[in-house]
Amino acid sequence: MRTLTPALRGDVITGIAVTLVGAVYYIATFWIQETKNIVTPRTFPAIVGIALIVLGLFLIGQAVYRSRKLAEVVPAGAASASSGASGVASGSGAADSGVEDEPAGVVLDAPEEPKSKQVVLQFALFFIYLGILIPVGFLLSTAAFLMTMTSIYAPHRWIRNLIFSVLFSVIIYVAFVYGLAVYLPVGILG
Amino acid sequence: MDTLIDLGGGFASALEPLSLAFALLGVLLGTVVGVLPGIGPISAIAILIPVSFGMEPVHGLILLCGIYYGSMYGGSITATLIKTPGEVASAVTAIEGYEMARRGRGKAALATAALGSFLAGTLAIIGLTFLSPVLVQLANVFGSTEYFLLMATALLLASTMSSGSRAKALISIFIGLAVGLVGLDFQTGLPRQTFGMSLLSDGIDFTIFAMALFAIPEAIRNLALGRGAKDVIQSFGDDTWMTKQDWQRSAMPWARGSVLGFIIGILPGVGPSLASFMSYIMEKRISKRKSEFGKGAIEGVAGPEAANNAGVGGAMIPLFSLGIPGSATTALLLFVFTMYGLQPGPLIFRDESGLIWTIIASMYIGNVALIILNLPLVGVFVKLLKMPKEILFSSILVLVAIGAYAIEFSLFGLMLLGIFGVIGYLMDKGGIPLAPSILALVLVPLLEDNFRRMLQISGGSFMPLLTRPVSLSIIVLMVLGIVGPIIFRWWVRRRQLLADVSVA
Repeated sequence: MRTLTPALRGDVITGIAVTLVGAVYYIATFWIQETKNIVTPRTFPAIVGIALIVLGLFLIGQAVYRSRKLAEVVPAGAASASSGASGVASGSGAADSGVEDEPAGVVLDAPEEPKSKQVVLQFALFFIYLGILIPVGFLLSTAAFLMTMTSIYAPHRWIRNLIFSVLFSVIIYVAFVYGLAVYLPVGILG
Repeated sequence: MDTLIDLGGGFASALEPLSLAFALLGVLLGTVVGVLPGIGPISAIAILIPVSFGMEPVHGLILLCGIYYGSMYGGSITATLIKTPGEVASAVTAIEGYEMARRGRGKAALATAALGSFLAGTLAIIGLTFLSPVLVQLANVFGSTEYFLLMATALLLASTMSSGSRAKALISIFIGLAVGLVGLDFQTGLPRQTFGMSLLSDGIDFTIFAMALFAIPEAIRNLALGRGAKDVIQSFGDDTWMTKQDWQRSAMPWARGSVLGFIIGILPGVGPSLASFMSYIMEKRISKRKSEFGKGAIEGVAGPEAANNAGVGGAMIPLFSLGIPGSATTALLLFVFTMYGLQPGPLIFRDESGLIWTIIASMYIGNVALIILNLPLVGVFVKLLKMPKEILFSSILVLVAIGAYAIEFSLFGLMLLGIFGVIGYLMDKGGIPLAPSILALVLVPLLEDNFRRMLQISGGSFMPLLTRPVSLSIIVLMVLGIVGPIIFRWWVRRRQLLADVSVA
């Protein structure tokens, strides 16, 4: 297997993921009870599942095809350097012989990518917050969550973080409960 | 004439103190949220939907419409001063506006954006006022065949006309459809795609999906980046406002942008972001000062910003008169209508005409409020740009959690929020645009319902699509709409190649 450029490798992974999701989705339609209508409850979900499989496979095929084409045009070493920066503007034919597909060549800066480890950590903390929100209650869990998040980011400003976390939780609680009549969970304080 | 009477009635109730207050609050809140880096109109509306739960429908809708165009304007402030567009529509402003700000022309850039938005926004609402009743008349002959076609067109256009890979935009649409089909089938009451979980039989709430997809990935990404390079905020205190030359250079781009944006906005499935891109391309092509583009050409701010806001008004037309949203943001508004038990479309103009005209009238007011409030207050809004990222984004995570809780009142709803947040993050990382799936999620019940009815009436035949005159005309327009851009691209590229050759 030829080496793929980072952008195209990403497409292959995305394609595989989409195909798998489509397959699971399609298989799940077997459990939908059939009816005698012309369009049964199964019709639409089945179309969607198949479409996802087809699109996923298409994405994989497209990436492999492009990497072949790229390998013909550019020597292997230069290939990865050129397409790494393709960013948002990479249209359907950005890789082919250097012609930008976007009509005016509006090139947007690709946003900076965070480290995966950090992303997983942030998501984990968010899920913990979502999990304790109801049993522990809004005030305590929110203050704790905000304190944790801000302190990971800016540990030296812990006093400000603490004041912010407590104030924000209280103000939001009061605003929602008394202002908007959205009753937030009281949890262990209740 | 009837239209003017209706509009007059709308103004009468839109100018009532409470309605007026909500319109002002909406644009102000929208601008504030739109200014915050990384938050565009979609996140702004999604986060603020729970706030409107307890309100009167008319007030809630006035508020959210105000938030919509307020956040569009707020986004252009951010784009100009720190080059961080909150949404795709201001991405081109981030190019020229930021360069202008760097050269000490920040105030002129903000002014041309604000004035252009105001003019284009107002023109588009005038268009909305007079075109909607016409379209409503037309909609009376629409059957399920036409509705199905229009919605399919909306989805197809949303995928072909987005920037970036079409396959990925289509994937996004099918993800939205897939999510939308989870739950009990509305015709037979049979559970579908619930994977045996009874909690899923109510389906996946639209607001949770929208918040999860738009707010969470952005917040997590920024928090995970940690203390990196700080954004450089361009100062503009000593700048001059627009000079006479600026006015002259802005006038035509405003006009062209308004027309272009309005037309693109009306097309189903095509939102204002494409309008601003197209306007930028057009201004660059016809400008005598091509070399200034990319270095702070005022035309590149005036045109796209006008197009952007004209697109907002244009997109409201199919939403109000047909009940078909043209973009992810109008899809959110459609959801808000249905949340209040209202169904936009021909019937709303008959049954709820007071309400709909009040909302339209409030848009005129909102646009005026936007320009009165925003130019003098721009210094205040800029202070928001200095808000520390960790505070901003952790607060957003709390707000979306409250939103999800207020909708489902359960751990299950909160977990759905988190899971779709992860899905949104992965989609974003895989380069799959998020907006089309929001549109698809809103459209799926209508799409399927009309598809079924069409086939039940015809006994399983697809022929009505071609034999009904209205549906045939839609098909013709649809083909033109899809082939047109392809020819346009080809033409642009050819011109570009020719230009390159002649320069060489």
